Amino acid sequence: MSKKKQDYILLDHTADLGIKVRGKTLENLFENAAKAMIELTVRGKSEGKIHSRKIVLSGQDLADLMVQWLGEILYLFEGEKLVATSAKIDKLSPSMLEASVEAVPFDPEFHVIINEIKAVTYHQSKVLKKGDHYESTIIFDL
Amino acid sequence: MDIKLEKVDDYCWRIPKTGSMRVPGIIFSDESLNKDLQRDESLVQVANVATLPGIVKYSLAMPDIHWGYGFPIGGVAAFDMEEGIVSPGGVGYDINCGCRLMTTSLEADQIKPMMKEIISALFKNIPTGVGSRGAVSLSKADEAAVATEGAAWVVKKGFGRKEDLERIEDHGTMEGADPGVLSERAIQRGLDQLGTLGSGNHFLEVQVVDQIYDEHLAREFNISQGRVTILIHSGSRGFGHQICDDFLKLMAREVSAQGFDLPDRQLACAYLKSELGRRYLAAMACAANYAWANRQILMHLAETTLLSTLSLSPSELGMQLLYDVCHNIAKKEHHEIDGRQVMLCVHRKGATRSLPPGHPKVPEVYRHAGQPVLIPGDMGTHSYVLAGTEGALQKSFGSSCHGAGRVLSRHQAVKKAKGRAINRELEDKGIFVQSRGKRTLKEEIPEAYKDVSRVVEVVHKAGLARKVARLSPLGVIKG
Repeated sequence: MSKKKQDYILLDHTADLGIKVRGKTLENLFENAAKAMIELTVRGKSEGKIHSRKIVLSGQDLADLMVQWLGEILYLFEGEKLVATSAKIDKLSPSMLEASVEAVPFDPEFHVIINEIKAVTYHQSKVLKKGDHYESTIIFDL
Repeated sequence: MDIKLEKVDDYCWRIPKTGSMRVPGIIFSDESLNKDLQRDESLVQVANVATLPGIVKYSLAMPDIHWGYGFPIGGVAAFDMEEGIVSPGGVGYDINCGCRLMTTSLEADQIKPMMKEIISALFKNIPTGVGSRGAVSLSKADEAAVATEGAAWVVKKGFGRKEDLERIEDHGTMEGADPGVLSERAIQRGLDQLGTLGSGNHFLEVQVVDQIYDEHLAREFNISQGRVTILIHSGSRGFGHQICDDFLKLMAREVSAQGFDLPDRQLACAYLKSELGRRYLAAMACAANYAWANRQILMHLAETTLLSTLSLSPSELGMQLLYDVCHNIAKKEHHEIDGRQVMLCVHRKGATRSLPPGHPKVPEVYRHAGQPVLIPGDMGTHSYVLAGTEGALQKSFGSSCHGAGRVLSRHQAVKKAKGRAINRELEDKGIFVQSRGKRTLKEEIPEAYKDVSRVVEVVHKAGLARKVARLSPLGVIKG
């Protein structure tokens, strides 16, 4: 384990990259996870046109929803070349998630790519309540 | 979980069948490589794979085994077509990630003074790094043709020669591809990434043959001491990643309905005879074909770049494809089980096929030598050419290792490389490197990997392939 960030820490995985995220509420946990993944993918800000997206997912449990949720944010970047600037959870239960995401087009003049995350894996994915907060472990394929 | 290894011989170790394991685990390794294995969870992953339905004989790991997600990297597992499963995690996100090696008529001494110029030109002409756009822009109809025909389609479009196809695993076209099963997202991501190298550990390297171990086989493979070779390591890019992701999700949803438990959701799978299993194999074949087409284009770009930079004619350059192998794949293959030829689905997740002389799947030109097995080293170290053996067919479903195997996480590697000018360190060794990001170089420092020579030695001694030649880097481009 290493470098402490605000709401997440990086986990050492030999082949890939993992994070352990915290949040006061479940919604907060999912939002922090999205923030962490974006931070690990790309840095910098641009003033480009804001694109809004509604994301609706159904899942088997919270861990499944977490993997799918981050997968959606990743697709925005990989598939649509959009960098999420805000990710807000509107509704969340163990079987469904609704969220609003805002994103700007990737602009190499302003954005720097930090890691090419190929995918969000299910390997060791967890969402747990730890005392007064929630915690999640996610491993990315690089 | 504490996993005990039992010694079978100096290069083979067993994980005994316990708990819900259906078969034992077998690791090809030696005492020195075993030390790295105890540091992470790769042995647990070998045991986890052994719990999957329909697994045949054993859950295998090659000497470059390291911690993956679901399957270990370096893992090989074969499944019965009737009772067994196919697992997208057992293939990996980068479907048909693989290697392609070209020989040339150039003497290394001839081009060494121009290496900086050569590497700059290759870096300029070959799209690398995250988000790079491909050398070829595809329409959706073109993309479907690439997904179905693979390298053959791009050869028709003028990239390389028809003779190249014989020197590609499966002739660069995997049967059973059906673009009709692909998601819109996969199709979108494939449109502009054909002819891109990618980032991370993907690279194109200019090398010199610096040691020959087997003169006869080297002649069969057209490898001569002191000559220049080019090695490409790349895969199916975002197209393959999306296909893996799509099917993992679908299969994760259906696992509970299939009546067995998984020790790790990343092992999500479907029965081979199920509709979902069939659809995955059809989609995976599309990505395999895309990757072969991709490496075919990258080879063409490398050739045209060398021709113009060195002002040579094609015959003076003499570039010839030696072979192209995949190391992330699931394939239907015939293997002998208890004296009978049986069709199995062999998963190779970070493992290279290794077929002996005389095998019908070995290209005719190499039929007497055995299939070329290409093992890339990590940045700045040696790569190896080996030849497939009968031992591999008997012990590992015709499989060998695929590289050095990481021992440091990328984060640990960056930390270790802090304050070092990796470019300069490599230049001091006579290796010119150009990459998009400094971080990539730091992540890929030689210390981040096992000693590839040790890994290859174990493969050779365990009889999984025979050493033919060693290649030393002169210049590298990376994403």
